[in-house]
Amino acid sequence: MNNEIRNPASPWQLKAYPIFTILGWILILAAFLIGLIVLAPIASSYWGGNAKATRDAAEAGSALIGQLGTLTMIPRWLEPLAFFGVAAFMVGIALEFSSIPALLKNRGQVMNACFPLIVKMSKEEAAQKSEVSK
Amino acid sequence: MNEKKSSFPFSMIEAMMPMYPLIALMGWMIVFIAFLVGLFVLSPAQAAFFSAAKAVREGASIGSAFVSANVTWHVTEAWVPQFKFLGLGFGLMAIVMALGTIALRLRRMGQVIASHIPEKARPTMPPIPISVKVFQLGTLMGVMILMLALIIGIVLAVGAVPSYWNHSIANELNPAQPGSTLLAQLGVVSSFGFWLNPLRMLGMAFLFTGITVALTVIIGVLRQQAGVLVKFYQHASSTL
Repeated sequence: MNNEIRNPASPWQLKAYPIFTILGWILILAAFLIGLIVLAPIASSYWGGNAKATRDAAEAGSALIGQLGTLTMIPRWLEPLAFFGVAAFMVGIALEFSSIPALLKNRGQVMNACFPLIVKMSKEEAAQKSEVSK
Repeated sequence: MNEKKSSFPFSMIEAMMPMYPLIALMGWMIVFIAFLVGLFVLSPAQAAFFSAAKAVREGASIGSAFVSANVTWHVTEAWVPQFKFLGLGFGLMAIVMALGTIALRLRRMGQVIASHIPEKARPTMPPIPISVKVFQLGTLMGVMILMLALIIGIVLAVGAVPSYWNHSIANELNPAQPGSTLLAQLGVVSSFGFWLNPLRMLGMAFLFTGITVALTVIIGVLRQQAGVLVKFYQHASSTL
C-alpha cells in the first residue's frame, strides 16, 4: 500500500480543457464583433435610412436587397455559433470536473499513509517534550 | 493559521462567497419573474395585437388597444431578455462562489493538517495562487456586463422603443421619410438586438471563464496538497 504513495498523475483532461475554453472565447467574441461591426450598422442603415416604400420597392440585385439578405441570413448561423461557444465552455468545465475523482482517490491514499506517521511523530515529539520538562 | 486579509474588492468578494445559496435563489427568482412576465404580459399583448385583421391593427391610431398592445409587446421584448440573462448570470455566479468557498475550505483543511504535523517536518503553506483573483474578477466582470445589458435594455424600453411604436403603423410609421425622427428611431429599435444579444453572451463567457478558473484552482490545490503530503511521507518514513 505504502509503495503506491506518489504524486497525483497529471490528468489528460487538464491538457484538453483550455482548448475548449479558448474555442468558446473565440466563437463568442466573433459573434459579438460580427453583430457590433457588421450587422448593427447595416440594420441601422437599412431601416433607419430608407422609407418603407423604398425598402419594399427594392429590386433584385440592388444594395437594399443585399442588405436585407445579410440581415436575414447571418443571424441564422451567428446565434447558433455563439451557443456553440457556450457549449465549448461547458465541455471544458465538464472535463475539469471529470479529473477531480482521480485526484480525490489519490488524496485518500496519500492521507491514509500519512496520518499514522503524523500521529506517530506527534507522540514522539510529545514524549521528547515531557522528558525535557522532567 | 491566520492569513493576511485581501485588499478591496477581493475582501468584499471573499466575504460574499459563502452567500452563494442566496445568489442562486435570486437568479432563479429573476428567471421565474421573466417567465411570469412572458406569460402574463408579453403573450396577452401579442394575442391582443394579432386579434384583428392586418388592415385593422395597422390602421389603429394612438390610444387604441392595438397600438397599446404593440407598445407593450415591444417594450417587454426590449428589457425582459436582458433581465432573464442577468438571472442566469446570478446562477453562474453562485456556482463560482460555491467553488471559491470549496477552494477556501480546502486551504483551511490543509492548514489544519499542517498544524498537526510536528514542527521539524511541517511543510510551508504555499501562497494563494493569482488565479483566485482572476476568477473573482472574471465573475465580477461577467455580472457587470449583464447588468450593463439590462440597463441598456431599460433605457431602450423607456426611450426609443415606446417612442417609435406608440404610433399608427399604417398612417405614421410606414410613411416616415428618411431624416425623420421616426425612421431614426426605427434604425435604433431594429439594430440594437444585433449587438446587445451577443454582448450578453460575452458576459456569460466571463462567467464561464470564472467557473473554469475556479475549478483550476481547486484542482491545483488538490494536486499541491497531495504533493506536500507525499513529500512529508517520504521525509517521515526515512527518519522514523
